[in-house]
Amino acid sequence: MGQTQTQTEAANQPGQKKFLSGAQAIMQSLVEQGVDTIFGYPGGAIMPTYDALYDYQDRLKHILVRHEQGAGHAAQGYARMLNKAGVCMVTSGPGATNLITPIADAMLDSTPLVCIVGQVKGNLLGTDAFQECDLIGISMPVTKWNYQVLDANEIPEIMAKAFYIAETGRPGPVLIDITRTAQTDLMTVPFEYKPCTSIISYKPRVEPKAEHVEAAAKLINSAKRPYILAGHGILISGAEKELNDFVDKTGIPVATTLLGMSAMDADHPLYVGWPGMHGNYGANVLTNSCDVLIAIGMRFDDRITGDLSTYAKQAKVVHIEIDPSEVDKNVKADAPVVGDAKAALQALLPLVNKADHSEWRAEFKKYDDEEYEKITKKDLFHEGDKIKMGEAVNLLSNKTKGEAVVVTDVGQHQMITNRYYRFKKRNSIVTSGGAGTMGFALPAAFGAKVAVPEREVVAVIGDGGFQMTLQELGTIAQSGLPVKIIILNNNFLGMVRQWQQLFFENRYSFVELQNPDFITIAKGFGIAGHTVSDRAELSDSLDTLLNSDKPYLLEIVCEKEENVFPMVPAGGCVTSIRLE
Amino acid sequence: MLTNYTISIFTMNTVGLLNRITIIFTRRRVNIESLTVSETERKGVSRFTIVIKQENREFVEKLVRQIRKVTDVLAVFGYLDDEIVFNEIGLFKIATPLGGIPVDVKTINLDWNAKIVHFGLDYVVVEKNGSEEEIQEFYTYLKKWEILEYVKSGRVAVGKTEKGLVEFLPEEGNWEIV
Repeated sequence: MGQTQTQTEAANQPGQKKFLSGAQAIMQSLVEQGVDTIFGYPGGAIMPTYDALYDYQDRLKHILVRHEQGAGHAAQGYARMLNKAGVCMVTSGPGATNLITPIADAMLDSTPLVCIVGQVKGNLLGTDAFQECDLIGISMPVTKWNYQVLDANEIPEIMAKAFYIAETGRPGPVLIDITRTAQTDLMTVPFEYKPCTSIISYKPRVEPKAEHVEAAAKLINSAKRPYILAGHGILISGAEKELNDFVDKTGIPVATTLLGMSAMDADHPLYVGWPGMHGNYGANVLTNSCDVLIAIGMRFDDRITGDLSTYAKQAKVVHIEIDPSEVDKNVKADAPVVGDAKAALQALLPLVNKADHSEWRAEFKKYDDEEYEKITKKDLFHEGDKIKMGEAVNLLSNKTKGEAVVVTDVGQHQMITNRYYRFKKRNSIVTSGGAGTMGFALPAAFGAKVAVPEREVVAVIGDGGFQMTLQELGTIAQSGLPVKIIILNNNFLGMVRQWQQLFFENRYSFVELQNPDFITIAKGFGIAGHTVSDRAELSDSLDTLLNSDKPYLLEIVCEKEENVFPMVPAGGCVTSIRLE
Repeated sequence: MLTNYTISIFTMNTVGLLNRITIIFTRRRVNIESLTVSETERKGVSRFTIVIKQENREFVEKLVRQIRKVTDVLAVFGYLDDEIVFNEIGLFKIATPLGGIPVDVKTINLDWNAKIVHFGLDYVVVEKNGSEEEIQEFYTYLKKWEILEYVKSGRVAVGKTEKGLVEFLPEEGNWEIV
């Protein structure tokens, strides 16, 4: 701390030309980039920058998390809500390695992050110095771009580049490793921040090629049984309206992927649910009956396709995708359209014919009815003693009119929440999809609330995942933001238990938890809460949660051994889906 | 059947890029047969030449797209052997002790199209350019001497298309010739 101050003071002495220190340049870059929030945790190698932050508190809101992983997930929640980079700032060594899980998560789920990481002094690099760690090496496979700064003069340009790379094309995480020396050194040139608008070796295609759009339109117009899979790309590019216009004109049924949830009003007559391992019956089975499969802003993850050799083999595939490396990666596209989902849908709309497809749509209805009888009805109108996860989520959905931002962790409760929350408002789901990171929800929900304080943000978390990042209750309490937390407690690592029951002959290997008293824990952090285990009190309990103007934790004690259906066994064909 | 693929990657000259590129191969368990990096005729542009053996062309195409995705990569091409002119270089350090078999300079020059590039006190260094097979055959010929050291470079290759590199680089670049 002392060092920077002296240098700053030296720089500001009368007669001296004012040059910023590297640390000040980082702060000034963030301000000029339009950043308003930093999620971070200080420590040795980033202290000069925290010292500079002291003078920037009026322009940059810093949120002190309780663990660097929390900073990363909170920045993800923030980024997903606003479609702009979430910023986190941590120290070198363990501070930075703690950030690797959120970075990997953001890479798989295309979430823009700019991670500012302290590093030991330049002359100590490679000497195994205290808290030194090769973050460039470690983060390379899980970042869209990373860079080590040794020279304070580089900072404005590198910061601008970091935001440009993180936010454009297929968004992703960027890590900037800044040596302590680059933070404390004074720049030798005047600070100038020019936003980055182009990088010669990085040219994401936004506007699709006209001939590709025409080929896609031709295929779509020829289809008798077309089917749309809409993914995260719709939310990222803000193409919800374009998707709706396209669907209303073409009459094509739409399923949304886990990350694409809320791209369409769940009550839209053409919305048929979601495909994938725990997705809907018709949405899965009919993938193998459609004649043209139109994938928009999604990447045919194995949790959606199951066995690729039997997946949609009868269908011609239109694949609209901004990342060219995803085209033909898992599923061969007959009409690839590389470009931004919004731009592609805008270009397609005038070229596609008005159609109805009512007979084809009716097929989904048949499957829906069967699913309702065999699964949904039992989940929602259960008469046993214990509350089922489904009825709790359904009630939450009704009480929030489907308009809340729903943040889920990973596991059974995640699948159930996406089954039964009826999203009515765009960009309302934040969940860890590709990485499946337990512990994601609590910090991510907090980050989402910071981004959109005017919206109701509800975290739905399992008892297992909650215990991975529960220290962030401290962050939430300190901020005072009314994040609403629901723990669906079944005293099990439920999804693993379900697999052990179904595929490992009931051999329950280390899945039962002895849980703490969650309410006492919340109270310890200064957060109110209560437990509900009686169905008769569930509705009032949810009202208490939702009506609170402070953070609140509601623990719902659920049926212990409930299974999530439908289920496509891992690596199975989508038509091998099980309803029980 | 395994086929040779030569992947030419044009990149900005950035620290750590070699690592970022090789990760793409190791993650998919692709063995790199050879790798050469050099600066090109355009200032600041590096060229990687990577040779791999693969059965499946589609797999190589996917690999090429993954490489293209790296932020500092300008262009990538995957070539079959008949689409490129390529060469390797082998250096052989051969013992020539007193009383040993004399080195047949004429045969080495004329029959093998190789040359002696250094005469030591009791050894010579022979350089042979050519394909991997040609260098291998030459190695067999040299076995009648004691081979003290043998080293072979990776493949370098240029495409057989009419176009030069600059036509594949982004247009707005100021691609100054070195």
